[in-house]
This record gives sequence, C-alpha cells and structure tokens, in this order.
Amino acid sequence: MATTEILETNKYLSFKLDNEIYAFDISQVREVLDYTEITKVPKMPAFVKGIINLRGGVVPVVDLRRKFDLPSSENTVNTCIIIMDITIDNEKTLIGALADSVQEVMTIEPDFIEPPPKIGTRLNTEFIRGMGKKNDKFIIIIDIDKVFSSGEAYMLQETKECRQFEDTSQEDMEKNNNENGDK
Amino acid sequence: MSKVIMAVDDSTSIRQMVGFILRDAGYEVIEAIDGQDGVNHLLNNSGIDMIITDLNMPNMDGIELIKQARAMPKYKYIPIVMLTTESQDNKKQAGKAAGATGWIVKPFQPDQLLAVIRKVLR
Amino acid sequence: MNETTNFNDIFRQEADELLFEIEEAVLEIEENPDDKEAINRIFRAVHTIKGSGGMLGFTRVAQFTHTLETVLDTLREGRLTVDKNLINLILRSRDHIKSILDSTSGVGEIDPDQEKILLTQLNDLIPLDDDKNAQYESGNGQEETLSKYSPKESIYRITFKPGKDIFRTGTDPGLLIEELKSFGDHNIILHYKNIPSIDVLIPDECYLSWDIILTTSQTADDIKDVFIFVEDNCELTIDIVDELIEGDDYKEVKKIGEILVERQVISEEDIKSTLNDQKRLGELLIEKNKVDYDTIETALAEQTQIKKTREKHREEIKASSLRVTSEKLDSLVDLVGELVTVQARLSQFSSVMDHSELLSIAEEVEKLTTELRDNTMDIRMMPIGTIFSKFKRLVRDLSSDLGKSINLLTEGAETELDKTVIDRLDDPLVHLIRNCIDHGIETPSVRKENGKQETGTIKLSAVHKGAYVVITIKDDGAGLNADAIKEKAIEKGIIQREAVLSEKQIYELIFTPGFSTATTVTNISGRGVGMDVVKRTIVSLRGSIELDSSPGQGTMITLKLPLTLAIINGLLVSIADTCYILPLATVEECVELTQENSDQSHGSNLLNVRGEIVPYIRLRDHLNIEGKRPNLEHIVITDVQDKRIGFVVDKVIGGHQTVIKALGPAFKYVREVSGATILGDGKIALILDVNALMLFKEH
Repeated sequence: MATTEILETNKYLSFKLDNEIYAFDISQVREVLDYTEITKVPKMPAFVKGIINLRGGVVPVVDLRRKFDLPSSENTVNTCIIIMDITIDNEKTLIGALADSVQEVMTIEPDFIEPPPKIGTRLNTEFIRGMGKKNDKFIIIIDIDKVFSSGEAYMLQETKECRQFEDTSQEDMEKNNNENGDK
Repeated sequence: MSKVIMAVDDSTSIRQMVGFILRDAGYEVIEAIDGQDGVNHLLNNSGIDMIITDLNMPNMDGIELIKQARAMPKYKYIPIVMLTTESQDNKKQAGKAAGATGWIVKPFQPDQLLAVIRKVLR
Repeated sequence: MNETTNFNDIFRQEADELLFEIEEAVLEIEENPDDKEAINRIFRAVHTIKGSGGMLGFTRVAQFTHTLETVLDTLREGRLTVDKNLINLILRSRDHIKSILDSTSGVGEIDPDQEKILLTQLNDLIPLDDDKNAQYESGNGQEETLSKYSPKESIYRITFKPGKDIFRTGTDPGLLIEELKSFGDHNIILHYKNIPSIDVLIPDECYLSWDIILTTSQTADDIKDVFIFVEDNCELTIDIVDELIEGDDYKEVKKIGEILVERQVISEEDIKSTLNDQKRLGELLIEKNKVDYDTIETALAEQTQIKKTREKHREEIKASSLRVTSEKLDSLVDLVGELVTVQARLSQFSSVMDHSELLSIAEEVEKLTTELRDNTMDIRMMPIGTIFSKFKRLVRDLSSDLGKSINLLTEGAETELDKTVIDRLDDPLVHLIRNCIDHGIETPSVRKENGKQETGTIKLSAVHKGAYVVITIKDDGAGLNADAIKEKAIEKGIIQREAVLSEKQIYELIFTPGFSTATTVTNISGRGVGMDVVKRTIVSLRGSIELDSSPGQGTMITLKLPLTLAIINGLLVSIADTCYILPLATVEECVELTQENSDQSHGSNLLNVRGEIVPYIRLRDHLNIEGKRPNLEHIVITDVQDKRIGFVVDKVIGGHQTVIKALGPAFKYVREVSGATILGDGKIALILDVNALMLFKEH
C-alpha cells in the first residue's frame, strides 16, 4: 500500500542506536527534536517512554533501544526524538522515536537494498524493511509502522481483552505492570 | 351562519368553478345563469349578502343587474363584484358607475377570488 | 467566496433543516392526524423550500416541491385525510427533494422514474380545480421570497378619506382598514369631526376619514392595491415617514436644545428652566389655532409608532440568531483551549514573580478566560432531541419492514450535550436501537402468546447527572438469552467452555469483537459493526456503557457520557515528578494521610473520614510510579457512581482548567488515563479516569 509507494523516494534518514546505523524512510519523518522531558503513561509496554508536548499537542515517544532489546543508555546532548507519521489501526497519528543521534539524509537505490537477513542480527526481523548498503556499510531500514502496531499487537490485544473480562484480566494486568516496572 | 353569495354567469363552467371555490371556502352559493335570473333570485331571496357577476350575458347583462340590484333597498349597499377581462375597461367603468364595489379580472386563481371577497364582504 | 455558491449553500443548509422538520412533523401527524399545527408546519416548510429554491435557481426542487405543496395545501384545507398512503407519499417526496438537493451538490443522482411516480401520485391527490395551480410558475415563487427575505420595514403614513357616496357602491371602508391592519404594526386615528349635526346628516353618506401609521415590509404599491376598488372615489395619500435602515435604530436626532447647548449659545440651566415653564408644543399649537387637535393626534401617533417600531426592531436584532458552521465553532474552541493554557502560564508566572500589578492582571485574565470558556462551551451545547427525533423515523421504517409494531418513547430530549459528543453518538445509538428492534422486540403474535401488548415499546431517555449525561435505551422485548450468548462465545472461541461467568459477565460478552447474536444475518443489525464498535465509540468519548437484561422483560442499555470533551475543571495533583488531573466534578474533599494513619489501616486501605469508612487506592502503586513515597501523603476523596473512594497522591496542587488532549490511537487501550493536558510551564499532566480506577478497586 502506502509503504510501497514510499519506497520510491529512495531517501532515508539515518540515525545511530548503540553504535549501529539505522534508517527511516524520509517521507515518514516530520521533524527531529532535541530531547525533551517525557511524561510516562502508566500501563503501557516498557518501550513506550511516554508522551511529549509538541507545540500544544500530545505525541507518544517510543524507545527503540528497549524495543530492539539493546542495552539502555544515558541521554547525551546528541539524543533526539524523530517525529514521524504512522498509521495505527487505520488511524493516522504522530509518533516520536528516541535515537542516540541523527546522522544524515541519504539516497539508497532499491537495487542496494536487500531483504532482511534471517540470522545474524540481534533484531527481530519483523521490524526491518530491508538492509541498505552504502559505502560498504549496512544500514538497517526500520519499518516504524510495524514497530508500533504489529509487534505489540499481541500485547495490546491482551490488554484489550482483559478489559472485557475485568475479573479474569487481573493477572494479565499485573503482568503488564511488572513489565512496566522492571527497569 | 355562512354568508350567501350569488354567482351570476352564463358559462356553466365558470359558474361551477366559482361555486366550487366559494363553497369550499365556506360560503353558501346561489347560482344564476344570467342577469334576469339574478334579478329573480334577488326578488325571491332576501338573504343574499354579495353578488359576483359576469358582465357580458344574454337576456340581461351585468351592468343592468347591478343597476337593478342597487335600486332594491335590500341590496343597495351589498358588495357587488364584477368578473371582467383585461379588454373590458369601459365596461368596468360602466359597472362602477352603476354601483359595483369591485372587480376581478379573468382568468384568476382561487386565492385571488377569495382575497377580493375578503376585501369587500364582512 | 462566490456569492451564488454562498447563497446556494445557505439554501441547502436551510432546506436540510426544513426537510428534517418535515419528517418530524409527518411522524407527528401519523400519531395524531388531527394535528393542524403539524400539517401547517409541513406546509410552511415545503412552501419555503419552494420559494427559496425558485429564487435561487433550484428549479427542479421548486417544480417538484410545488406539486407537493399543492397537495399539502389541499390537506391543510381539510380536503384530504391523513392516511398511511399519504404519510408514505410525503415521506418519499421529502426523500426525493433531498436527493434532488444532494444531486445539485454532486452527491448521488436523481431517479427520474421515482420523480415521475411521485408526481403522478401527488397529482392524483390534487382536486381538479387546483390543476392550474399544480403547474409551477417560477415568477410567483420569486416575488414571494423576495418580499420574505428582504424584510426591510418602513413606516408609512396613510391618509384615507373615502368619497361621500362610498357606501352606495357597497364598499365597507372598515374592511379596507382591516386589510391594512394585517400588514403590520399600526396606529389608527379615526377622524369623525366632519360628521354633521343630526338634522342635516344623510345616513348613507360617509363623513369619516382615517390616518393610519403603519409599519410594514410591504411596498407603497402593495398599500395602494388595498384601495384599488375605491381609488378614484377617495382622497388617498401614502407617505413614507421613516425608513428603517440598518444601524439606524440607535441613532437619535438631536433636539434643538441640545444643539444650542453644544454651541454654547445658552446654558443647560437656561434650557431646563425654559422647558419647565413651557407647555408641550402640541398644546401650544392648538392654543394658537395653528393646527387642530386631530392633526396633533396623528402626529403624536406617528411619533409613538416610530418609537415603537424602532424598539421592536432593536429587540429583534437582539434575539435574532446567527448561523455559523461547526468548523468555525471547533476552531473557536481550539483557540479558547490555547488561551486557557496560556492563561494558566500567565497565572503561574505571575505568582512566581510576586508582582502585585501583574498578579491582578493575571487574575483579571483568568476571570475573563473562564467566562469565555463557559460561553464557548455553552454555544456548543445542543439538545440531544436533535438526534432523538430522527430515531422515530428509524423505528417506524424498520419495524414496518420486520412486521413488528413498535412505539418509541423519548424522554429528556431537551438534555444538552456537547455537539461533538452528540455527533459521535449518532452511530452507536442507531446500532443500539436497531438491535432493540431486530433482536429485542418480538413479533406481535409472539408477544400476544406471551401475554404482552402486541405493540412493543422502546424508551429512549436522557438525563443530566453531575458532569455526565446518562442515556438509557430500554425495550420491553424478549431480553437477552444468556445461554445462547454463552454458547456462541464458546463457539467463537471467545471463552472456554468451562469458564464460570455471572449472568452480567455473559451479557458483557456481546461487546467482544466479532460477536453477533443474530443466527441469520438480517439487513438490519447484521451489518458487520457489532456492539464492540459501539462500546469503543462510547469509551473513546470518555463514557461508559452498561447492559442489563431480564428474560422476557426486556433489555436496558445505559450510556454514561461526559458533558463536554474539550475542557473540564480538574484538580491538579502530583506523584513523584508527574502531574495528574482528577475531574473536579467527582472530587469531594482532600484529606491528609500521615504515616500513622496509613499504618493503622494495616494494609486494608480503608480510611475513617468522620466516621465513614472510605476505601482508597494508592495511585503510586497502582500506576507503578517509582520512588519513595513522602511521609505526608494526601487523599483525594471522590464520589464515583455514588460510591466514595479515595486516591492517594503526593501533593494536591489545586484547581486547573484542563484542556483535554486526546492520547491518540497508540494509547487506545489505556483505560486509567483518559487524556492529557499541557500545563502552564509546558509540562504534561495526565488526566485520570476515576471510573476505570474505581473498577480496579472493585475487583
């Protein structure tokens, strides 16, 4: 759908996470913000850092390190939030992604993008749209829509269902709580 | 009690139409086929409250009917409306001179007729 | 914007409202065929659509409407009787007008066959003598609307002196005066001074004359037409004495004295003392025989009339309403929201600055902002009846399709709710009512067998309760079949067969996605959107939905919705570094929770508040907030659904006007937080949903 069209632009915003280069499709990127205070929202999966005030609006921020099971780190002056357009359950919304630093906007021709490797990556390949090759380096192109929706669908579904059966859900809720709590 | 209006016209269709509109609006209607018939009705019927009359009729025309009616004490002051056509301006003047209260130009809509009646008949 | 499109849009909007009104009134006459007023309303609405449509070049609308109007006129005159066929015909015609209108804005197409059928059926109802009438003449319609839509009023002075022999032509001048009176506000002076003494009086001569001061939107020609039969047998003058020009209502002509004082020719005192020993001008003039009493009387009448008219005009302007698009309103609300946020910043900053001048300005701004906010919110409030009445049609159509007999009762139609809430309530309510009709109410024969009245009843009611509006949809149908629901849920894999659920829990299953109780999919409720969508919509409106049913007795669904979505009064509290908002409407009081108190409760989380035991929730624990809790905590005691419950927080900061920001789809399933708001310093505070927190406590 939209994603295939987006691929045509060939432009990517690269960023660093734990000394590895990742990239987002530029057409989804709205802007890049300096790190700002994030307000935690209870009962959310741990990779959802919370929400920020974006010029009077509220935007959720995800911690990709957490999502990709990378070790967490202290914020630096380079830490930033990449604001992107995404679609959750057919609803368009904004989302922010924490990155160690932003690198550059680059062009990668489709010919230089390979499908995600089955093995040899620490990442869950579900979130990877492809591996871009640039100057003999591999760049991991992230599909942000999947980061938020599909991977966590199970989790959200569970949360949703436990709303339906309040009493039986107690355990599930507590499970969620524990996930949130163990930092 | 509803008001009694005498409709005088030699054309059956017009008489019936006028009659229909008036009855429908709650008036009692006496139909007369020409001036002479009208005069007869006036003589034999004391309760006529208003006359609507065509001008061009056989036997006795409308102008004469108006004159005769005005000559009867009972009908000296009742409203009399003439049915005219645009081309009958001189007739209209004659009718007014004879004592007609007002006129309505044919063809007319039911509403217009009723409006004229409300204007002259209390 | 292009003027024509603008007028066209206004017409479409107006026509939409009128069509709605027609529908409503038609349903009323269906219930009560003798309701003359409802018939009149339909007629007037159709008439206006025709008139305006004709004027604005919606010829097709005008032509079609004209025929319908004629039928309605016939009905209005009592020459037709109200029956099912007529009602159906009017409703179908109304829908057709709607489709013509829609097609002019590019939505849908006109069905010419349908139009032909309707016209034939309509014309069949028109009595023969009206046939001419049934032909639409665009000229007529235009005139009518012109005068209707340019109600520029003028004040006329009409003097009417009939010829002496006027009675001899059967003319009653009184009737002419009556006719004039119907034109508008009037003041009539009868002059009878010319009546001679009885010995010379001729009884059938007219000695009277009249002055009429008339305020009307009719033209001088219209007035002249009144006298058409007598114009060459009377003295008639028609003068405009005052034209009401926009903005003129407040203008007052300076009095001569004022001008003199202004020019410093004489002092104010001089004027006053002179005025005091002065007789009224009218009296002086009469004394000097310059004018007679009658003339003065006319002049005074004229003066009064002008004053009166201007006053009336002013009042009309005051009470008149203005139509704005809801987008404009929405952006106003957004702006007020922004303003409230900025104001909060100002207040916070000024209290930090400790500058008395600044503080008083900030207070002033706060007062004004609150007022502005309340006013804006008030504009957005609409009576829920606007959607209630549309359900009458729904119930009527669907029940007759299904061969059921159903009566819809509504209650509390005047209950006001935010427009956004009302708009979004539409679909869920339609669905719930469809369910009642389709699954709830039994067919007449079944009802009869079960000893019920053949006609089922659906009761739709709305009532205010605090910061909420409670809407109930209650039917006296078969009720829910718990066994069938359970069976279905097991079949669909929603629950395990061995699950032990209470009746209420079983009922709740119908809110599960993918659940549908209809064994056969009817075109009425089996549309793919299930109760889960209804529930989701209600929850997204920060509302709640509850269901209660007793077999054989019926089902009751209760929706609880917040009055407004945009701004609430909140109580700002904090736990660790994060601020939270509790809806102030639910807050009863705040008490301190010391370490000792807390220890005394031995982990039972119960507090003794003046002899009453109140359970409390430690939000710090419940929301998994890290950090050590302070020695002195605070409990905010709230009243949620008539139950008192306390929420333990670190600090109570104070009242806060909370502009609600939605959290967006990412947080769809977070129940405890219903939204967020931006504080004066740019920080975010989370708005807590006390209902959801309460539910946690209950389990």
